Amino acid sequence: MNRRGWLLLAAWIALLAGSVAWVQGHLKISADLRLFMPAPRTEGQRLLVQNIGESPASRLLLLAVEGDEAGRLAAISKRLAPALAQRAEFGFVANGGQAPPSIPDTLLPYRYLITDSFDARPLTEARLTSELEDRVADMASPAAGFLEEWLPRDPTLEILHLASRWQPRAEPHHIDAAWFSADGKRALLLVETRAAAFDPDGQGAALAALRDEFARARETSTARLTVSGTGYFSSVIRDRTQYEATWIGAADTLGMILLVWFAYRRPIFPLLGALPLATGALAGLAAVSALFDSVHGVTLAFGFTLIGVAQDYPMHLFSHLEPHESALHTARRVWPPLATGVASTCIAYLAFLVSGVVGLAQVACLTITGLLAAGLTTRYLLPRVVPQMKYDPAKSAVLARLNRRIERLPRPWFLFALIPIAAAAVFFLRHSDFWQNNLSRLTPVPPELLQKDLELRREMATPDLRYMLVASGESEDAVLANLESLDGELTGATQTRAIGSYEHAAQYLPSAELQRRRQAALPAPVPLRAMLARATADSPFEDGLFEPFVADVERARSLPPLTRADLRDTPLALRLGSALFARDGRWYGLISLYDVHDPGAMANLAAVHAGSVTFLDLKAASEQLVAAQRAHIIMCLEIAAVLLVIVIASALRKVSRVLRVLAPMILTTLVILAVLRACDVSLNLFHLVSLVLAAGLGLDYALFFEHAAAEPAEQQRTLHALLVCSATTLWVFALLGLSTVPILQAIGVTVSLGVISNFFLALLLTRERAPR
Amino acid sequence: MLTISTVASGRALEDFERQLRRTPPVTTAFVEYRFSHLLKKPLRTSGTFEYRGDGTLVRNVDAPYREVTEVAGDQVRIRRGDKPPRTLSLQRAPQLRVLLGSFRALLEGHLVPLQQDFEVTLEEDASRWTLTLKPRDAQLVKHLASIEVFGSGDRPGCLQALEPDGDGAFTLLGAQPAGTEAAQARLPARADLERTCRAPAKPGEPVGK
Repeated sequence: MNRRGWLLLAAWIALLAGSVAWVQGHLKISADLRLFMPAPRTEGQRLLVQNIGESPASRLLLLAVEGDEAGRLAAISKRLAPALAQRAEFGFVANGGQAPPSIPDTLLPYRYLITDSFDARPLTEARLTSELEDRVADMASPAAGFLEEWLPRDPTLEILHLASRWQPRAEPHHIDAAWFSADGKRALLLVETRAAAFDPDGQGAALAALRDEFARARETSTARLTVSGTGYFSSVIRDRTQYEATWIGAADTLGMILLVWFAYRRPIFPLLGALPLATGALAGLAAVSALFDSVHGVTLAFGFTLIGVAQDYPMHLFSHLEPHESALHTARRVWPPLATGVASTCIAYLAFLVSGVVGLAQVACLTITGLLAAGLTTRYLLPRVVPQMKYDPAKSAVLARLNRRIERLPRPWFLFALIPIAAAAVFFLRHSDFWQNNLSRLTPVPPELLQKDLELRREMATPDLRYMLVASGESEDAVLANLESLDGELTGATQTRAIGSYEHAAQYLPSAELQRRRQAALPAPVPLRAMLARATADSPFEDGLFEPFVADVERARSLPPLTRADLRDTPLALRLGSALFARDGRWYGLISLYDVHDPGAMANLAAVHAGSVTFLDLKAASEQLVAAQRAHIIMCLEIAAVLLVIVIASALRKVSRVLRVLAPMILTTLVILAVLRACDVSLNLFHLVSLVLAAGLGLDYALFFEHAAAEPAEQQRTLHALLVCSATTLWVFALLGLSTVPILQAIGVTVSLGVISNFFLALLLTRERAPR
Repeated sequence: MLTISTVASGRALEDFERQLRRTPPVTTAFVEYRFSHLLKKPLRTSGTFEYRGDGTLVRNVDAPYREVTEVAGDQVRIRRGDKPPRTLSLQRAPQLRVLLGSFRALLEGHLVPLQQDFEVTLEEDASRWTLTLKPRDAQLVKHLASIEVFGSGDRPGCLQALEPDGDGAFTLLGAQPAGTEAAQARLPARADLERTCRAPAKPGEPVGK
């Protein structure tokens, strides 16, 4: 390489380094799964997409503190809970020591509008007399000292009534006023993260805060903290993926350097070979960051997988280099098959651009830009920095012998029939669970974590994660009224044990209409005093003792109905916040269900009120959504396949050539699907994307063998190139296949299978026999 | 001879509690007078305290109405007349739990654990003794100034619970002189009760089993 070449190489690397800096500054990675969802169709899907990972239940983290004696664990729990409540990362924090939410003192008269005590049995003289008899007995009980303070103001004990109504229906055991597991070995806490469950960064920050506060609260104890919950899982999976991707990436790089070095015997080649792919990746990233606000993490995963094809481009150039030919000349020779491969793949991905799913459009943008950049630099830039070859690796004696042996192999044309028939048989025998529809399986949680989560949820009686009811209305108040109208049926459902219990916003904030009805039923001061006088005539209570009560009832009669705005910054607002919300001009109220025994009963309840109540089966809704999303992607792939065939056909212009080029990728796709299905693997999106990559590799292999035609020297060079390409690709993806992260494993296994199958099929079916 | 033991010398309390210790079930009759600024006259109730083998504390009120309060673990169940029973979790009322815990400890004779929630002082004068409990919890202090238990020998005779505002309850333990039932109509003055409580007459045989 001359001085100009070195300068150019230096400039190229400097440009790449500059682009890294630019991309780092501009790339905004989003974790919002909605970018990857097709437009929702049903009301359930709509609510799911809008609330995915944001529902109160999904944002709960379950904490267990164990490994010390109960007393010390309780003490840690009591130090930890208030410390966490102070942190911005968390909404509410509960460890059993908190009082249930209560009406703030300034709003106390509102209790007569909030309480349901007088709905069935109004505040009449008979009711009052009976209540006061009870209060006399209360005054003679050990609890008297605690009641005295409130009695004059609240003789019917409405504050207590509301507190007991608002406290959780089922609670874990208590030791020293802190929640504990039934065996008394684990102190339990419940925290709500402000970050959505599928926001791994926010969840990561929340976990860091948790560990931080726990380390402080633990003091000298040996106790350990265990965390569980949807958000925790998303963070664990991200960390594990990052960790494995890092070490696999390092092993990949090292292996690639050694392989390329061995193949071309010059230490500069591994560096040169990496340049087009690096250029493609950076160009792709730059394009998506310039065109889209934020890029989803999955876009990057898919995009980088797909531009993996470009790793082969420089190998084709290198293997065809000849000692007496300029590299630019060689580049011109290998350009036709390379250009056909790049162009057909890019045109095929155009189908994703118009898919209507933002995430897929991003994948297309990244991949097309990346492949074009890698292809063009291989053609125009790389040859100018490649040093003159002195050793011709493709001319080695070993390779020549191998080439002759392959030449003598029979051409297994029967594979054209055998592979489709065998694949069809496998699909027929294993037709169930062909696709993986479970959204959670896309980012699967290790089973031991799920088991622990299940245990903790049982202990803590958290609301059901899968089922909920959603009431809707034109306004906040309409939703509240709607929720109230369902109370009868919901209470019925608890009596028939269809559900254990339920919770909704109207239990904390009744509708204005109901508040006004309760107001109207309250007695005026004069009759109330008269009623009190008669009721207390024979009681030991001091005369006029209940004047504060009369005053509160009087205030309650004239108050404007309580609204959510009045509750701002009170513990009640926290309860309402996540359960009552507006989206796109319509209001929704979530009904959390506990211990759902009969989801069908809840579905029926919603069916009766169709239009204003929706039964949400989050599992079913997400499965439908995944299925819809997959159908969408498959349709895009079909369009892509048609486009690809058109491009190949117009480039090769002969049916036999077109068939020979397309055969390996088509048959390989069937081979991969059949092998995966034979191993009982349900296919997910990552398998699909890997199939596309495998097909792209197969297309390139076949194009080069086809281009070599029947000329033995050219065939030997192509064999060298494809050996290097498939060896390096196989090395990368086989390592990925060893990963314990299911996504990485799915990609690794699928592409590895594809490389092997494509290589042999291209060798045996596409390569022409040399004339004898 | 008058000895004063405080928390500092826990030994004395351990010796003393051995003297009070009894094996459940234990049943003790009581008469209780409660004075409150909300009331025109004190409330008088009578019945039995029961401490069962399974750890359940029962307060049976026989007069002037019937009421059964069972405290098992953290669950309180109150049946009053023929009204449906009410249940209450002491987890939601930690101060009440401490208070009820002190009754249980006295009936059972387990005083040392009380030091966790109370500052415990023991004064002994021959066979007579006074046990004073002052709550440690700041929340409880608002509702309860002190509990004083007056007794002699191995029997607590009277319990005086005082609230910071001067209200309070006097609980006479053990069978009361027969005249008391008849004297029910005229309630004793607070000063008289205080005197009776502090110097319980030779305690009659309690209904213990």
